[in-house]
Amino acid sequence: MPATTFRIFRYQPDSSETESYHQDFQLEHGEKTTLLDAILRIQNEQDGTVAVRYSCRSAICGSCACKANGKTVLACMMQVEHVKTDSGQEIVQVDPIGNFTPIKDLVVDMTPFWDKFKAVKPFLIPDGPAPEKERLVPKAAMEKIAKESKCILCAACYSECNSLAADPEFVGPAAFAWGYRFAADERDGQRKNRAKLYSGEHGVWDCTRCMFCNERCPKGVDPRDAIEKLGSIAFQEKVTSDKGARHAKAFLISLRTGGKLNEILIAPYTDPIGAPFNAPLALRMAQKGKLPKSPLTHRVKDRDQVKKLIKNVKETI
Amino acid sequence: MRTHDVVVVGAGLAGMRAAIAAHEAGVDVALVTKLHPVRSHSGAAQGGINAALGNETEDSTDNHTFDTVKGADYIGDQDAIEILCQRAPLEIYQLEHWGAVFSRQEDSGKIAQRPFGGAGFPRTCYAADLTGLVILHTLYTVCVKYDIPTYEEWFVTDLVTDDDGHAVGVVAYDMIHGTIETIGAKAVVMATGGAGRVYRPSTNAHASTGDAMGMALRKGVPLKDMEFMQFHPTTLAANGVLVTEGARGEGGYLLNKDGDRFMTKYAPNKLELASRDVVSRAEATEIMEGRGIDGCVMLDLRHLGRDRIMERLPQIRELAIAFAGTDPIVEPIPIRPGAHYHMGGVHVDNWGAAPHMPGLFAAGECSCVSVHGANRLGGNSLLEAVVFGARAGEASAAYVQEHSAAPKVPSNAAADTQARIENLLSRDKGIRQFEIRDELAGVMQEKVGVYRSGPVLGEAKRTVTELRERFQSVVVDDKGKTFNTDLIHTLETGFLLDLADCMVTGAIARTESRGAHSRTDFTERDDENWMKHTLSYLDDGEVRLDYSEVAMTKYEPQVRSY
Repeated sequence: MPATTFRIFRYQPDSSETESYHQDFQLEHGEKTTLLDAILRIQNEQDGTVAVRYSCRSAICGSCACKANGKTVLACMMQVEHVKTDSGQEIVQVDPIGNFTPIKDLVVDMTPFWDKFKAVKPFLIPDGPAPEKERLVPKAAMEKIAKESKCILCAACYSECNSLAADPEFVGPAAFAWGYRFAADERDGQRKNRAKLYSGEHGVWDCTRCMFCNERCPKGVDPRDAIEKLGSIAFQEKVTSDKGARHAKAFLISLRTGGKLNEILIAPYTDPIGAPFNAPLALRMAQKGKLPKSPLTHRVKDRDQVKKLIKNVKETI
Repeated sequence: MRTHDVVVVGAGLAGMRAAIAAHEAGVDVALVTKLHPVRSHSGAAQGGINAALGNETEDSTDNHTFDTVKGADYIGDQDAIEILCQRAPLEIYQLEHWGAVFSRQEDSGKIAQRPFGGAGFPRTCYAADLTGLVILHTLYTVCVKYDIPTYEEWFVTDLVTDDDGHAVGVVAYDMIHGTIETIGAKAVVMATGGAGRVYRPSTNAHASTGDAMGMALRKGVPLKDMEFMQFHPTTLAANGVLVTEGARGEGGYLLNKDGDRFMTKYAPNKLELASRDVVSRAEATEIMEGRGIDGCVMLDLRHLGRDRIMERLPQIRELAIAFAGTDPIVEPIPIRPGAHYHMGGVHVDNWGAAPHMPGLFAAGECSCVSVHGANRLGGNSLLEAVVFGARAGEASAAYVQEHSAAPKVPSNAAADTQARIENLLSRDKGIRQFEIRDELAGVMQEKVGVYRSGPVLGEAKRTVTELRERFQSVVVDDKGKTFNTDLIHTLETGFLLDLADCMVTGAIARTESRGAHSRTDFTERDDENWMKHTLSYLDDGEVRLDYSEVAMTKYEPQVRSY
């Protein structure tokens, strides 16, 4: 029977120890014991003050996300032995999810997460009255939002989000996955308004594309893909005045005209007002040889190929 | 003190549907839940929700009614079942209008329907194998849209009554802020879900501890048909996690160790899609007679093919891989019967109103209307939750409009609870709650399981009584105010013990076999003596039984075979 040291993050607001610390617990457990079962056994057999959120223990209620050796997982879905093999470490350190403030041990204050969820207007706003029976929706149209409908709001993505680490006001991957779920629902009548709501400061264009949300989502929702699809919807709805959208558009124009990126033109197009203020930086970059010598960059020869590629990509969205 | 017109305890399907209905009726309603609404166990329901939409084949609400009456082994109230089945299509359309992402038919774009156990026609609407999650989310989004006040992570400890014995609110422990508060109300709707955690293994969440039943029972409200616990035929051996009936609805086989489709013996017509009690008994018999593999039989989905499994049963594949190390595309899943759904609950009428306590309503699994009788059909629990959730919400709003005077909430309600909890926390030595819970769940599984008999039930009763005594000296490890889960589990364990006692006592008395209650010493259904509902009361800590009539409309009891 394997034995493991669990190094659990402790924060006990009611005790005399008001700082957080880590505490080690030893536990013998089965080959297939899940991380949640191990924590609950520690809670039962060793220390009843250990606090953790949990309920279904079948990876559907979304309560028990936490960090195991630095990586956000659903504790009920992850076997202790797998944590050890994945991380190459014998000790299993358990921490609360990131980008949140702890309330007690592994329990964090989820308020910002729920507030942002509510901010994306996560409900259907149809045009016109409902029919007597169900609305008729092509199977494929429903399947288009099937992946995002699987989001269990566990906040594993939020925990790992680098944009949030830099900007706590960033709306975050899960809320945007829900935003896409409604924006792309053909029964919803607010596509353009949603595109506006999800753009702007702290919006979809502020995602750093680090892909950690896709990587860590335990349900295969791929929130980054949803954010990208929201970007496309913004373009389709001509919601393109946002800096982020202009930046994306500058990429496209640059590719179309020269077949490759023209970095010198991208900055002024993205932010015509702000870019001149960056001139000193550009100058320093030029001095260090970090900029192309001429704004008229070399054009690729077979630009038709590039155009074909752009067309293909557009058709897949 | 906080007050609302209506307080709904529990924010799963029944609770949120009730709150939405009350809100739409124009009263001030609030939700109180010990979890966050989207964490509720309704979200774990997989396979679907029944309604005679007739999208796949001709169907009718009469067919649905008959299948449900028969599935209930004739002890469901037929007037209530008619209400359930007639309102079913309307509730499905309503959920669709609110945005539920139901799976669709290929050509017509209508809601797709799959075959389910005990049903004569493909009647089960679904969203892949995530139906509960999709509906739970849909209702939550409506609550967000309506901005219904929600007390999240408030554990309700007590139902509060006034001097006349009317329900006038609840006392709850605010887990985040560590305070104990009274929430006054003109009406209380209980919707806290089932008590599956009386058993181990169980498909139920850790939070499914039947709190509403426990609270109502202590206030003199009887519980109905507590002896009927459904064992789901397909649960994972490792931890009791559910494998949807939809797996068999899509065409999955059950095989014994010889590779035989043993259901040909037990239900030659409906085979794997007989009702759940029949299939669970068949499995238990195969295993007992030595034709199982390590205490399991096999659920074989391989012939469905990768595409169908990935489209219709993606979660099942994910869970089987995570918890059983088995990919159903390439090998059969070892499964066995496990406690799943409790047919019994707070005794309420067809509007969800408790006849023994004005102002109290209940809906969903914690209630017993009764529409499921002795055995619930798959796909009828989500349906019951939304139909009777909506009706309880409407009825509670109507009640409030008739009784508009401010509720006379006893001023000492929260203080009483506070004193009781402080007393509990002051104890330094004793037994921890988990030891009692573990032993209770073990004895219920072993002695009050798929097959029961008088002498063994008697042993279970003695153990439960002894555990209730030992619980008097329970000790709580965590003395803190914030997020004290040890305290909550202790209070839940108190409820579980009372409920287990009602289950065992009811089972001992019912000397017949009906639906999920199968006695090896009384193997036949006995309509002459037992066509009645059991009512359990708690008198000075002792369970007392009484009985009430079953409502019959047009379906005469028949021999039940599948």
